[in-house]
Amino acid sequence: MSQMSRAWRGAVVALVVAIVILALTPYLWMVLTSVKGRLEVLSDKPVWKFSPTLEHYGGVFIDKKYLPLVWNSAIIAVGTTILSLVIGVPAAYVFARSRFRGSEDLFFFFLTTRMAPAISVVVPMYLLFNKLGLLDTRLVVVLAHSTFNLSLVVWMMRGFFAEIPPQMDEAAQLDGHTRAGAFVRVLLPLAAPGIAATAVLCFILSWNEFLYAFILAAFDARTLTVGIPGLVTPHGTLWGQVAAVAVVATLPIILFTIVVQRHLVRGLTFGAVKG
Amino acid sequence: MASPRTRSRALVLDRGVGPLFLTPALVLLALVVVGPFFYTIALSFTNLSYALPDHNGSFVGFDNYRRLVRSDPVFWDSFKTTLLFVGAAVAVEMLLGFGIALLLAGRLARQRFVLTLVLVPMMLAPVTIGLIGKLMLQGEFGLATYYLRQIGILGEQTAMLSHPKLALIAIVILDVWQWTPFVTLVLLAGMLGLPRGPFEAAIMDGASRARILWDITLPLLRPIIGLVLLLRSIDAFKEFDKVFVLTGGGPGTATELLSIYTYRVNFREWDLGYGAVCAFMVYLVVLILSSVFYKAISRRDRTAER
Repeated sequence: MSQMSRAWRGAVVALVVAIVILALTPYLWMVLTSVKGRLEVLSDKPVWKFSPTLEHYGGVFIDKKYLPLVWNSAIIAVGTTILSLVIGVPAAYVFARSRFRGSEDLFFFFLTTRMAPAISVVVPMYLLFNKLGLLDTRLVVVLAHSTFNLSLVVWMMRGFFAEIPPQMDEAAQLDGHTRAGAFVRVLLPLAAPGIAATAVLCFILSWNEFLYAFILAAFDARTLTVGIPGLVTPHGTLWGQVAAVAVVATLPIILFTIVVQRHLVRGLTFGAVKG
Repeated sequence: MASPRTRSRALVLDRGVGPLFLTPALVLLALVVVGPFFYTIALSFTNLSYALPDHNGSFVGFDNYRRLVRSDPVFWDSFKTTLLFVGAAVAVEMLLGFGIALLLAGRLARQRFVLTLVLVPMMLAPVTIGLIGKLMLQGEFGLATYYLRQIGILGEQTAMLSHPKLALIAIVILDVWQWTPFVTLVLLAGMLGLPRGPFEAAIMDGASRARILWDITLPLLRPIIGLVLLLRSIDAFKEFDKVFVLTGGGPGTATELLSIYTYRVNFREWDLGYGAVCAFMVYLVVLILSSVFYKAISRRDRTAER
């Protein structure tokens, strides 16, 4: 290895380290804020060393009763994931296996629902659900979140099904399965890893979502993301508590991200780029 | 690849389950997307308002559209702000993301671990991103404010979020922080999927790194770069959560994006007939961008099949 290329290599490593530090510091700062004492949070010189405390976690999740919000977030995320999978996986299978008149247009239609701006869809939803007396229920948020999750499932799973050779379907039918039976007994197990990855992505998208939940369920059914801005007030925001909620809202997602990292590219580009 | 024969057989076999498998999805989408979409259009021709008396939704023809075109400079200001935000944020993300992808592409061994770390901002809830931004940029005790003042970029008394121009820069920085990882991730996937042949040939010919980058990497990556650019533009155009939490559109209307303005008209002023027009406009722009995206990938898929 020549002298020059060793220096080059060192520079690259230093640059990568700097990028990682820049990417992570703001998040770590928030994690630190959640376990700092009140005075250390407000210090005008940054405090990096302190004795950690969990008072903010107790303060917000127990005294301010934020615990049910975690529950709401979880139920809504699981609900929309199940709904989108049950309805979306069979549809994806049809798109993967057959072309019929209008199938391209239909497929595009699914994409547009994924792209639809929440602010545009939520206005009429609010008025409709208001008339039906369904506002502030978990059900409406589950339905709203399926606007983007259903099409995510269809787009991602079409790719996964397309990777299974059609000969598998035929072999299953020769074994005496009906078309639907072959789908359930043979195709679904083969696609299971893809389904799992898609499920995790659905969960993440729903758990992180803000605008639909904020407009449609502001009180009893509000989720963790909706609860966070409520803690920020023009005067006297308890930043320790804000940070504590934010940490609880983000930790599971970071773990999940590591689980599905291999499929992230596909999931986030609607299958346009395979990771 | 399936032979023509198996393909046609699969088609015949499908007749039975196709409708059964597709209908539930279509019904659900009709309920949550198509219905609301047409309801928005219907609303846009009414004067419905929850705040004004006697505005119970009677038909007013094109009044709301006339108001949008002729007498609502705030809408067009927010449109400009949005374009400025999208342009600046996406441009910086593309450049940075491409650079970082190049840096990581050569170092396969450490890449997974490094990539996981770099990805963190992208997966956090946008609301928490907004809060982190607020915590960092606070005038009194923000970490970033402190260090920016130390190195003299910010004045002693300046707080980014209460200064109109700096607040706009702040939302761009925050978006760059969150989404550069996405650009990196996808471009890196693209780079690793490139054929090795052209690169080996160029190295044999003694081409410089810069030449290889310019003449081989960039042209080969062009389709993926285009897709990422479109996806990021669509998403940035819809941006709401982060900005809502970080600045709420302020100071004044300095960072009031189209989505924030639409929110204000509908859910603060309860001017729902006119609000429907604003919502419809946002929808329209996104619809146009999505169809460009779709055309791009279906064209690419067709060339791939040939």
